[in-house]
Amino acid sequence: MMLQVAKKEIKEMTRSGQFKWMLGTVLVLSLIAVFISYNQWQEKNLQREQAQESARALWLAQGSVNPHNAAHYGTYAFKPQFPLSLIDPGVEKFTGVSIFLEAHSRNEADMVAAADQTGLSRFGDLTPDFILLYLIPLLIIALGFQSVTKEKVNGTIQIIKTQGISNTQLLMGKWLGNYLPIAIISTLLFVLAALLIAAAGNAFDWRLLVTMWVIYMVYFGIINTITMVVSSLASKPGVSLVLLLATWIVSCLAVPKIASSYTNEKYPYPTRQVFEAAVAFDKKQGIDGHDPWSEASKKLEQETLKAYNVSKLEELPFNFDAIRMQKGEEHEAAVYFKHNERLKQINQEQTAVYRKLAVLSPFLPTRFMSMALASTDYATHWTFSDMAEKHRVAMQKTLNDNFAENSKLGEWGYKADASLLQEVPEFEFEAANYNEVMASNKSNLFILTAWLLLSFGLMFFASTRI
Amino acid sequence: MLHAVNLTKSYNNHLALDQLNLSVEPGEIYCLLGANGAGKSTTINLFLNFIAPTSGKAVIDQVEVAKDPQAIKKLIAYIPENLVLYNELSGLENLSYFTGLAGMKYHSDQLEAFLDEAGLQGEAFHKRVKSYSKGMRQKVGVAMAIAKKAKVLLLDEPTSGLDPKASNEFSELLTRLSNQNVATLMATHDLFRAKETGTNIGIMKSGQLVEQLSTDEINHSDLEKLYLKHMNA
Repeated sequence: MMLQVAKKEIKEMTRSGQFKWMLGTVLVLSLIAVFISYNQWQEKNLQREQAQESARALWLAQGSVNPHNAAHYGTYAFKPQFPLSLIDPGVEKFTGVSIFLEAHSRNEADMVAAADQTGLSRFGDLTPDFILLYLIPLLIIALGFQSVTKEKVNGTIQIIKTQGISNTQLLMGKWLGNYLPIAIISTLLFVLAALLIAAAGNAFDWRLLVTMWVIYMVYFGIINTITMVVSSLASKPGVSLVLLLATWIVSCLAVPKIASSYTNEKYPYPTRQVFEAAVAFDKKQGIDGHDPWSEASKKLEQETLKAYNVSKLEELPFNFDAIRMQKGEEHEAAVYFKHNERLKQINQEQTAVYRKLAVLSPFLPTRFMSMALASTDYATHWTFSDMAEKHRVAMQKTLNDNFAENSKLGEWGYKADASLLQEVPEFEFEAANYNEVMASNKSNLFILTAWLLLSFGLMFFASTRI
Repeated sequence: MLHAVNLTKSYNNHLALDQLNLSVEPGEIYCLLGANGAGKSTTINLFLNFIAPTSGKAVIDQVEVAKDPQAIKKLIAYIPENLVLYNELSGLENLSYFTGLAGMKYHSDQLEAFLDEAGLQGEAFHKRVKSYSKGMRQKVGVAMAIAKKAKVLLLDEPTSGLDPKASNEFSELLTRLSNQNVATLMATHDLFRAKETGTNIGIMKSGQLVEQLSTDEINHSDLEKLYLKHMNA
């Protein structure tokens, strides 16, 4: 009986002009979104590939060079573009994709897409995640708001009630009838994206894609269930539509914005000026590799002379300038580490609040899970930033060690063999794997499951009120 | 087959139905007459379990409606004053859907036979219901009752708004069903049709059954006089 109701709902839907238009519009928008994203994604892939090759070529083209000059010349760490970012670009647009690695400084990520766009980018892009997170829930509401109320108003519910089908079966059938077209459109979007990614020769963990698809299907399931509940309890289609649109506004627009404002208010990030001033202050408290006259440098000098039991720096078996440089790097790295850890901690505190607020709307856990599975969330960016810094510190050590071991004090004209540059490996970054993503998103999974169960519970309650 | 036993329904302080007692046996067509608000539709709705009785009971085939509504659904068919169907579906698809909800599966040729038996023209079977007249919709309702093999037919002013020809066709259908031992309880304002089609008549006023008689006992003119007498009393 349930299937019969579902079939009838779909048949009615496919014959009704307004539903055809709605479904057609969302389908066309989905296709446009996938193709636009695919083109941009391909373009970015190409740009990144070229930039990475160019940066490496420039690094190696220095040839025989003073190691510290090479350290200042620097190179770039590029964040790879992950395949599923085609579906959900997440915060990528705002976080940047490359970090300049140089001596003495931990730089922030650069090449922020949002910075390269006009103010119109404030309105957002037509991306598959926009379709999935915002438009499809609206479509679910548009298709289902009068699912039950129409039967009540027309009087068909009375005929149905005399037929033998239970209210629960009726509601489940209507749920299925409204859900299937949505599921088909969404699945098409995922299949198309997967084919395009695969065609572009990008290998990826299929579990990430399948899980992302499941998460969205659950999200749509929740919205669909809420739609059926409201449609069952409302007396008129108009009332049902207004209530559901209000629910959509609160769930998809208000709660995320309130959550964002609240977390920023409760755990604010320091301003750039404050952050940079604090870093500069702490840097001054330790050794500066370029300042041999500072108190810290003098202290290091004395300790080193004592350790090697010599009276002059020239008598040391290595170039003390490079040692001082390395010690300076280590101090600066520790300062950056300390301040970035604080930023990370604030981010984690904000994330924790966000996750708690996720109970207010199924949108939030879906949003977080989607970004995490696409490796376009803040957590991935933080890991990238940390890995790049680790790479920078190792790079400085390689260069400083060579300088120390192969030159004498004051020999700033020393040039290392070009092979030294090869010793600095290219930066490689891999995002969290499937198991790690799932483990770090347990609370989102739990909340989403709770929403699903709660909404179904409400639907069974609503079935007693038809 | 169908019994009202001291059946009472009140809304707040308003007594919509007061201690109603009536019986409709298989093959009988019992027509409830009365002004608006007399309690006719309330009676039908109590047998349909759309509303719960305040006291007394509605019994169909020895089953108390309020106690086992699911069992009752297998026995009854209901045709309201305006049978609303799904406009985007054809008459055949509507019939298929509703009989499916009753747990019955028929092939389309069987469904066509039911529609045919209900008097719907063959060319209308596959047309969308939005092009149907009221009479055609009511015939789909009758086809639903036939397909469901209902033992009890509950009708709430089913001929209201029908033209005389359609009304007559509908009456003939009811007679045909009663010949198949279907018990029919029909609320109506149409005295003429009640006398022509019904086997029994009950006149209701202010929630009470004030008169019960067999249609064989009275002619059209006397029925009208009797009805007006009660209405003016």
